[in-house]
Order: sequence, then structure tokens, then C-alpha cells
Amino acid sequence: MDFSKIPGVNAISTIIIFLLFSDTLYAQKIVRYDLYVKDTTVNFTGKLKRAIAVNGQIPMPTLTFTEGDTAEIYVHNELNEETSLHWHGLFLPNKYDGVPNLTQMPIKPHTTHLYRFAIIQNGTHWYHSHTGLQEQIGMYGSMILNKKKEPVIPTVPIVLSEWTDINPKNVHRMLHNASDWFAIKKGTTQSYAEAIKQGYFKTKVANEWKRMTAMDVSDVYYNKFLINGKNESQLSLFKPGEKVRLRISNAGASTYFWLTYAGGKMTVVASDGNDIEPIKVDRLIIAVSETYDVILTIPQVKPGAKPTAYEFLVTSEDRTRSASLYVGEGIKQLASPLPKLKYFEGMKMMNGMMKMNGDLDDMGMNMSLNQMDMNLVMYPEITGPLKGKKIKEMGIPAEMDGMKMDDKKKPMESGHTDHNMYNSNVLSSITTLNYAMLKSAVNTSLPKDAPVKELRFVLTGNMNRYVWSIDNKVVSESDKILIKRGENVRMVIYNNSMMRHPMHLHGHDFRVLNGQGENAPLKNIIDIMPMETDTLEFAATESGDWFFHCHILYHMMSGMGRVFSYENSPANPEIPNPKLAQRKLFADDRAFHFMAENDIATNGNDGEAMLQNTRWSIGTEWRLGYNEHHGYEVETHIGRYIGKMQWLMPFIGFDWRYRKMGMDEVETNLFGQRNTKDKRSILSAGVNYTLPMLVSAQAEIFTDGIVRFQLERMDIPVSKRLRMNLMINTDKEYMAAIKYIFTRNAGVTAHYDSDMGFGVGLTLNY
Amino acid sequence: MKSIKILMAVVLLLSALLSKAEIKNVSTENVKISGSCALCKEGIETAAFDKNISKASWDRDTKMALVTYDNKKTSIDAVLKKVALAGYDNDSYLAPDDAYAKLADCCKYDRAVKKEVMAEKKMPEHQHEAMASAEKTTPADADPLKPVLDAYYAVKDALVSSDGNTASAKATSLVKAIKAVKMDQLASEQHMVWMKVMKDLDFDADHIAETKEVSHQRDHFSSLSDNMYKLIKSAKPSEPVYYQHCPMAKEGKGANWLSQIPAIKNPYYGAQMLNCGKTTETIK
Repeated sequence: MDFSKIPGVNAISTIIIFLLFSDTLYAQKIVRYDLYVKDTTVNFTGKLKRAIAVNGQIPMPTLTFTEGDTAEIYVHNELNEETSLHWHGLFLPNKYDGVPNLTQMPIKPHTTHLYRFAIIQNGTHWYHSHTGLQEQIGMYGSMILNKKKEPVIPTVPIVLSEWTDINPKNVHRMLHNASDWFAIKKGTTQSYAEAIKQGYFKTKVANEWKRMTAMDVSDVYYNKFLINGKNESQLSLFKPGEKVRLRISNAGASTYFWLTYAGGKMTVVASDGNDIEPIKVDRLIIAVSETYDVILTIPQVKPGAKPTAYEFLVTSEDRTRSASLYVGEGIKQLASPLPKLKYFEGMKMMNGMMKMNGDLDDMGMNMSLNQMDMNLVMYPEITGPLKGKKIKEMGIPAEMDGMKMDDKKKPMESGHTDHNMYNSNVLSSITTLNYAMLKSAVNTSLPKDAPVKELRFVLTGNMNRYVWSIDNKVVSESDKILIKRGENVRMVIYNNSMMRHPMHLHGHDFRVLNGQGENAPLKNIIDIMPMETDTLEFAATESGDWFFHCHILYHMMSGMGRVFSYENSPANPEIPNPKLAQRKLFADDRAFHFMAENDIATNGNDGEAMLQNTRWSIGTEWRLGYNEHHGYEVETHIGRYIGKMQWLMPFIGFDWRYRKMGMDEVETNLFGQRNTKDKRSILSAGVNYTLPMLVSAQAEIFTDGIVRFQLERMDIPVSKRLRMNLMINTDKEYMAAIKYIFTRNAGVTAHYDSDMGFGVGLTLNY
Repeated sequence: MKSIKILMAVVLLLSALLSKAEIKNVSTENVKISGSCALCKEGIETAAFDKNISKASWDRDTKMALVTYDNKKTSIDAVLKKVALAGYDNDSYLAPDDAYAKLADCCKYDRAVKKEVMAEKKMPEHQHEAMASAEKTTPADADPLKPVLDAYYAVKDALVSSDGNTASAKATSLVKAIKAVKMDQLASEQHMVWMKVMKDLDFDADHIAETKEVSHQRDHFSSLSDNMYKLIKSAKPSEPVYYQHCPMAKEGKGANWLSQIPAIKNPYYGAQMLNCGKTTETIK
């Protein structure tokens, strides 16, 4: 990254630092920050790309306060678009929470907005834009709230993030259009060729039978991962034998990170800004938007020997890339990189868990708190390296815990799966942090005599269509959840979707009921893995509207959230027109996403364009021959997806075709209905249904009484970049095509079509 | 057809371009990379190679490598990092321990820099252990078999982590510990057993020490464990010993081992099936 290329930036930041300094000199209790939000250009990958910098830097400046201070943060929006800042994990008056169209109106371009609130807590927190996808391109920073008396240990704020060269709006659009470009870039296409090569053909077939596409642990391919804005950096000021406390925030928009350290075990001392009893671990995964305080010890060296720096390794959950921080000075001791995931093992695991109706089946394991990680079947460091079928066959013995093992059952003979099968701490000598291990340093019990309100949520989703929801409803489809000040709210959350979700509650810390009794840890975000059920509770002590949502940016923007609203709250002065605000808030998940594809082939030009949102789909397909004999046809369908898995889509359509066939030539379909197809302009109604193997079945009846059934399977992943399409219908039309994907927007297709014959062409898609 | 021809032409043109390309914006640097044999040379040069971006040529005698790279696309540090990740310490980076452990035997160079750190890093633990054992051995009724048992545990732990090198080294200490046992300190019953099993113990320990091949070590470890069991059963160990069994080991014949901890860490499979087994007897 090279900011020095932007003239003036350095000068500005110096001035700001000076301003800050003078402010803090004169006012002891009020701490003022001025944040100038501005467009910038960055170069993380060799290409210049647009980003947003605050005070000329990415991440945004670290804001430091001490408990008892009053924060005065002036946000100067110098962008040509709206913005906002949310103070993640902070307890503050609702109107300063920073959710546009919910707790305030967006900060308009070229205006200044003041956030002013008392700092009434301590701990490691962070702040970020809550507007659109701005968080992805630089609007995140660390927010450190010190205790009045902090322990004396060197402390470094750490902000983890990721960078993609693709405009995040485009990322969002591609996710909604089930583009598999990210999978190609990550090498996770999981095509048939790869499946056969690794001996997982049956697994792949079973996977498609259950109507699943390639599985992955994360959705987006990133070009770079960053620690405090850099891929690699060194903290040379620390000496051997010293301890360093890292105050880590995961500001990634959609990436979980594994944290490992080359200098031995790490001591975790706080989570989400709340102190816990120190725990020594070999590694931990930090969920999107989560924070941890971790103490690292730099190993001693012999007197007189040269010091060594130790790598603090931050690896994305999909293990495509990593970022490094070298702690200490001198030669750098590397940590072992995390080996690549065994995706087909993951796919096999998913097959086992997925019922035919799209629900997940935990096989009675009652999973919670990240203790069992189904993904570990993919971790070579725990379940052994990928070696074809051998290891799989031997498998992990059904009963892992030697102490509890029943003499009558030999490990290989007992068929049922034991809980510990997925517990990495039992399976290996690597200690991985999980939520059950967190024990608050203080008693966190809620008021005993308060009434309890219990809420149950099921996290739902549909990877193929990238719809993410709670109880199968997105934000715009659901009412606010009313809570009363003075009651204890208990949430039982079950994840019935195929991805993990970091659920975040604004303005409150909740207790995670993890078996630690009175010392249940306090957090404001909890990662819930597929099939897990977690129970959380908090005392309702505030007023106003608080957002509760999945913190994966693209899931949130798809509508995975709810609003907790305190009954009888005073009107929020920052929201002068609540109706308008609500409409704008709902617009996020109602947005339509556009995709188009056109194949310019030797035998004709065909393609499709689609506009889709959570429930609706408007699609047009065209086939344009180069002469009248081949004909021209355009079919348009407007449909609505039904049900959680959205396999069913009734639609109405309009069909227009023109073709010059020989004199009196007519076609007969399978039902004996005759049709010239020479000139047709007609309405239709029909229904689409996704069958096992991802075959789309379509039944359509036209206003002239003609009926058509069609089976179609698009995008069969033959090899990493090769896709096959097949189609057949009762009009005796059929089509087979094979496409090689060159780039994100271009490929080459060879196809045979019953109308147009054989053709080769260039396929462009958006 | 025409389009196929065009496509082929494009492909040909591309491949011609690719084959002609070479490293641009050339920087060269001489750096020290640890290694010891011809296999190392291959390993180092493969790790440093990235088509049209970087390459290295390493000299076995001087341990110096001439690294050539495209300074617009990579850096000397990035190349050296890859070399270290392949197991070779160098001026900028020290290899992860497991990467070093995976090197071929001939390639296990002397880790000079690493030793200074490691020795010191392990120091407090060693001191601690030494002190602990000192406390325990000073009393007159000290267990004369404890050093043997401890050495045995060390071999077992090495096998749990499937580390043939460490297992071999630890087995060498085990042989020494066996030789150092003063028979006159043993109780009579123990003495009898000791006489019976000593030779076999020595034989198996020797064989584990001789090879670095884990599977061979495990074969000997099985009979070693059976004899250790006989020995320890006759004694009254100062700390409980867990006699554990994995029915799958030795291709379904099953095998036993002794452990200082009740939890199962299987020395016959390591990470592959770390928790296969159960405790069949606790010797106190």
C-alpha cells in the first residue's frame, strides 16, 4: 500500500494529529476526534483501486478513550455519497449508535455529524461504517477504551481486514447471481473431474442430489489480508522475554481468521472487550467483528545471543492467504502455515448433515458454542493429510474418549457417531479456543427478579440464491421485536443454514450461557456454526431501536437481521421522518441484482438477462438466429420464489417468436399439439421446480392451449473451468453446451441446439 | 471451423509468448541458506523458483545462494520466506519446526541460530524438571526404575507425534537409562522380572534408536511396551501408570502401551487416530 502517492494526505494527517493533541491538552474529560472521510486510491495488489480513507489512512485512526471520558467525534463526510459510523460494542444513547435509517439519518455528502457520548465501559472495541458496503473498502478502525488503571504491559491495537480488487457492489451482485468466479480463484470449484481424481465421485453426486453446489467456508475471494493495513509488518521494539498484549479486532467484512503464534501458546485474556479468566491456547478463530485480547510471550534467548522475532500468523478461514506480524526484532521465526482444506471431506460431511428437504440434521449431537467443529473433517492438521481414500475408510473411530469407552463396543464396530468426533481439543494435541472455555473474570448474573422474555430464532439461508434470513424472513419482511426495559431477554438461536453466522447485537453485551454459571462470559457477537444452538441473555436497560444482525457484510445487506425495539421509547430526534427512514432501511434487502449473459456464436446469438431479489425474479432469454429460417425468439418470465429453499417458482411469462420455415411446415410436440412457431406472440403461466441434481423442471401453459415441459441443468462443473449445460423439452427441442471460463466476464462456448445446429462462440457475462 | 482456427492461433501465440518470457526487472542477491546435501539443493531451488519471477542457485559448500528475482513482482524477503517454509533457515527467516522435521534425513542441517534460542527457551522447563526429579530422587527410597519409565514415556510421546527423529533420539536415552539401572537397588520380585526382560527391553530400544522410520519403531514399541508393563507391574510406581490398549494397532491384532496420563494419545497412529484406545489397567 502506498499512500505517499496521494499528495497532501500526509500533510493533512499531521495537521489533524496536531489538532487532536491541542484538544486533549485543554479538555481533560472531553476527548475530541475529527474524522475526515474521503475517497482515496490504494494499491494493495499492483492495481490502483478506489477505497475510502479516514484522515488519510486505512484502517481508520485508532480512537483511544479512558473510562469516564466523554467522546466527541466529528465526522466530516467529504465523500460524494452518504456515510455513517457505528461504534461496535459500545454502550451509548441510541441516537449515537450509527445505523443509518434506524438510529439516525445518513450523514449526507459534504456535511459534518457529531457523535457525543460518555464512555461508560472499557475494553477492546472497534468502529466502522454501517452504510452500504463501505466497510469493505477501508472504513474500519480500532477503538480502545482503557480502564482508569490499565495493567502495565505493552499493548498494540490490531485491526484485521481483507482486500478485494473487485468493487464490493459487484461482489455483492456476483454472490447473488451464484457466480462461481470466487470458487475458481480459490480453487474450490469441486468439479466432477476433481472429485473423480481424488476418489470422491459418489460424494459429489450425493451432494448434487441433495441440491447443493460446491461447499466452502467463506463466500468471497480476497486478494490480500491485512493486519493494521499491511500484509506483513514487524514490531521490532519488543525484546526477548517480554510480553505483548494484542488488542485484536476482526474488521473483515466476511472473513474469519485463524490466529496462531510461532513463539508458543497464546494467552487469551478478553473477548469483545470483557475480561475473562486467562486461557492458554495454541490457536483461536476470530469471527467477523469479534475482538480478543491476546498476550504473546517472546521466548528468551541466551545472554548475548541475537534476538528472534516470532510470527503472529493470521490466516483466513478458507486458508487461501495469510497476513503476518513479526513480534520482536531480528531474524523471523515462521509459524507453520495452515494446510489447505480437504473440501471433499467437507462435502461428505455436509451430505451427511443435509436432509432432502434442505433442513440440517445434527444427528442428536446438540452442538453449541463452537466446541464441535464439523469443519475439522477438512483440517489436515487434525484429521490427517489428504491421501486418497485410505484414510477416509479407516476414518475416525466412533468413540474417541478413551475414558468413557464401553468395553462391549469396539471402536470400529459401533456405528453411531460420538460427540467428540468433531471436538478438535479431544482429537488432537492442538488446543483450540471455543466459547465454552470463556469464563468471565467477574460475576455477570442478571437481576434475579426481572421478568424473562424468551425469543427463539432460527438462522436460515439459501446459498444457491444467496438469501440469508432469520426464521425465513429478511429485515424488510419482519416486524420489530418489542422488548421492555427492565426485563431479561433470553435468545435461543439455532443455525439451520449451511454457513456460520457471527450474530451481533448493538448497544448491549449478552451473557453466553456456556456452563460457567455466574461467570458466563459477556459478548456482543457470537459465532454460530451450522446446526449449533446457543442461548444468550441480556438485561434490557436501554431505550430505542437496536439492530441485531449477522455481521458478514453481504449477509447483513441481504437482510439477515432484526430490530429490537424498546416499547414506549421517546422519539429519536435524529429520525425526523420514521416512515421514510424505514423505507430506506428496507431498501437494502429489497434491492434487485442484475445479471446478463450473451453468447455470440457461429450459429446464432443467444443469452439471458435477469433481475432478482430475495423473492422475485424477472428473467428474459433470447435466441436470435442469423437468418429467418433459424428464427428469433424471446421468452420473459416473472416469478416469485416460494419456500425456504426457494426450489419452487411459479411465474407468468410472455413468449414471442418469429421463424420462416418451409411452406406449411408445422411442428408437433410430444402431446400431439401442433404449432407452426412461425409467428407467435403469446402469454403463459407456469412453474419452475428445482429437482435433485439441480435439474430445473419447468411446466408452462400458453394462452393458445399449448403445454410445454422442460428439463434443464445449467453449469454442471465438469472441471475447474469447464461447465456443461443440458436442456430438453416436449417441443422436441434440445440443447447441449460446454463452456470454458476464461475470465470473470468471458468464456468460450461450444453448443448444439436442435433449432440452430452446432456453433462455437464467445460468451460474455455480467 | 473458422473460429477454432482463430482460437488455435491465439493459443499458439500465447504459448510462444510465455515460453519466450523470462525474469524482468532483475535483481540479484547473495544470501546464506542452511542446508547440507544435494537433496537440500533441490529443495531450496524448487522453493525459490517461481516461473519468470524468481530463481535461486545454491552452493552446498559455501551455503550461499544466488537469488535472481523480478523486483517489481517480488522481493528477496518473499523468496526467502518461501525457502524457510520449505524447511531451510536463512538470513531472514527460520523455518517452522514441522517444516524442518519433514526434511529428508541427509538434509537435517545443524540449526545453529535456532539452537541458541531453543536451548534457552527450553531452559526453564529443563531446570524445572531437573529440580523436580532431584527432589524425588534424593530420598533413599527413590524408584530406581523411574529414569527408565521417563525415557520410555519420551519415546512414546515422540511416537504420538509420529516424529521418527525424536523417537530415535529418545530411544537412545532409553538405552542409556536401561544400562544405568543399578540392579542391587531393585526389590527381589522386581529384580527377577528385570533379569527376564532387560535384554528384550534393550533390544527393542536399540532398534527404535537405530531407525527413523516410524512404522518400524512402532513394531518394536509394541513389544517394548509389553515388557515395560511386566516390569512396572512388579514395581510400585511412585505415580500412577495407565496401561492402555488400541484394538486397531498392528493391523487389528491390537497393541498396548503405558502412559503417564489417563487421556488416550495413541502412539501407534499419532494424529491419524490419536484417540483410539482405552485404559485397561491403572497401576498404582
